[in-house]
Amino acid sequence: MTELTEQKIAIEFAGAMKRGRRKPIGPLNLRIPQGYVVALVGPNGSGKSTMMNLMLDTLHPDEGSISWYGGAPSKGLPLELRQRIGYVPENPALEENFMTAEMAAKFRARWYPTWDQERYESLITRFEVPRHERLNRMSKGERRKFEIAAVLAARPKLLLLDEPSSGLDPFAWKDMIDELRASLDEEDVTIVLSTHIVEEVKRLADFIVLVHQGQIVGMAEKDALFGSWKEIWVRGAQQNELNGIPGVLTCKEDGPSIMKLVVSDNVEFEEWFERERAKIQIIKSRSLELEEILQLWIQGHQPGQTN
Amino acid sequence: MWIPIQINENSAEPLYHQIETQLRSLIVSGQIDEGTLLPSIREFAGSLNCSVITVRRVYQDLENEGLLRTRQGTGTFVASVGAGERDEYRRTVVQEAIEVAVDKGISVQYGEDELKQLFLKILKKKYSDPEGGGKSK
Repeated sequence: MTELTEQKIAIEFAGAMKRGRRKPIGPLNLRIPQGYVVALVGPNGSGKSTMMNLMLDTLHPDEGSISWYGGAPSKGLPLELRQRIGYVPENPALEENFMTAEMAAKFRARWYPTWDQERYESLITRFEVPRHERLNRMSKGERRKFEIAAVLAARPKLLLLDEPSSGLDPFAWKDMIDELRASLDEEDVTIVLSTHIVEEVKRLADFIVLVHQGQIVGMAEKDALFGSWKEIWVRGAQQNELNGIPGVLTCKEDGPSIMKLVVSDNVEFEEWFERERAKIQIIKSRSLELEEILQLWIQGHQPGQTN
Repeated sequence: MWIPIQINENSAEPLYHQIETQLRSLIVSGQIDEGTLLPSIREFAGSLNCSVITVRRVYQDLENEGLLRTRQGTGTFVASVGAGERDEYRRTVVQEAIEVAVDKGISVQYGEDELKQLFLKILKKKYSDPEGGGKSK
């Protein structure tokens, strides 16, 4: 829905499919544009973490392919690129469990050529991560904060964040949002994050990708998506006459002679209303919440572009 | 710099349009001076919680209108606004507001004379009262 023709692509899924013990994920077709924040949203078990692993090349597709920064799909993920990817997994890696924050940072610094020790120090201080505590003895939130700090200190150009805020308190959460935003000031940093937190989507995302039952329902620019539909209450209209109106998605009675409608924010509906306005009044209207929008999207309604 | 833009999430008006209208009005009314460096697209999007696509669109539209100019590598600046444009803008804003008021009158079956009387009454009240006059909400 947005012109991505000249846009450089960070990651492309081309018919990628992964068969698992449960249901297959895919085939997935998706282009993650370079320099943007893309939020993966969808119910638990819909395939978001599998997508993360495919993007990291820690899982390989059974069919189709993944390519990075315009590279050949068969080549996989080259080392120099792998060193520019920061990944915060849903569950922290076991290998570092017996290390302290200090040791783990030292370990990571050897692996990332762009590691910025100064930035690491300042993030650890800001996030109040205990430096000499073993990682598996930290609270869930502290461990999370370490993971985020260590990933940002590597100055990655691609950040893959799998539910980065789980376990964070509201203060740490806000610090994280600020730091992620700050990391975007650098040129062409791309962030892919999976999340269930509506506020995170609102504050960070440029694009939203909806994943449902192993399929990508679609990708939409955030503000266009939020403007796609609205709920309105009208007086003076009958259910049967409303059902045929262009742009009316749902319609139900909500009190005496009041109908509650969900409508597409489009010209056709405006025109119809304009013609009927002697008879029909709009009592109130509201924009939909993200979860309501996603529900409609899953049901097969296509979010429109607002013009 | 911080730009005072107020987004109404519940408005039916598209987000980019809300931002564009308010930014245009800030520039044309002279509340943001000529030559002011505007925030980067990413920064502005962050402070408004909208996508960079939306801000880019607003900057592009206003650049096409001649209100902004972009210097490669430096950023987006406020261009100069002529006196003619400013007057034109003031007239448009007021005209649109009056049209909304008249439409409202029509929708509750106000007659032309009735509306005129009411308008004159409000006019008299607002302009004679130094506290309530002139200020837009």
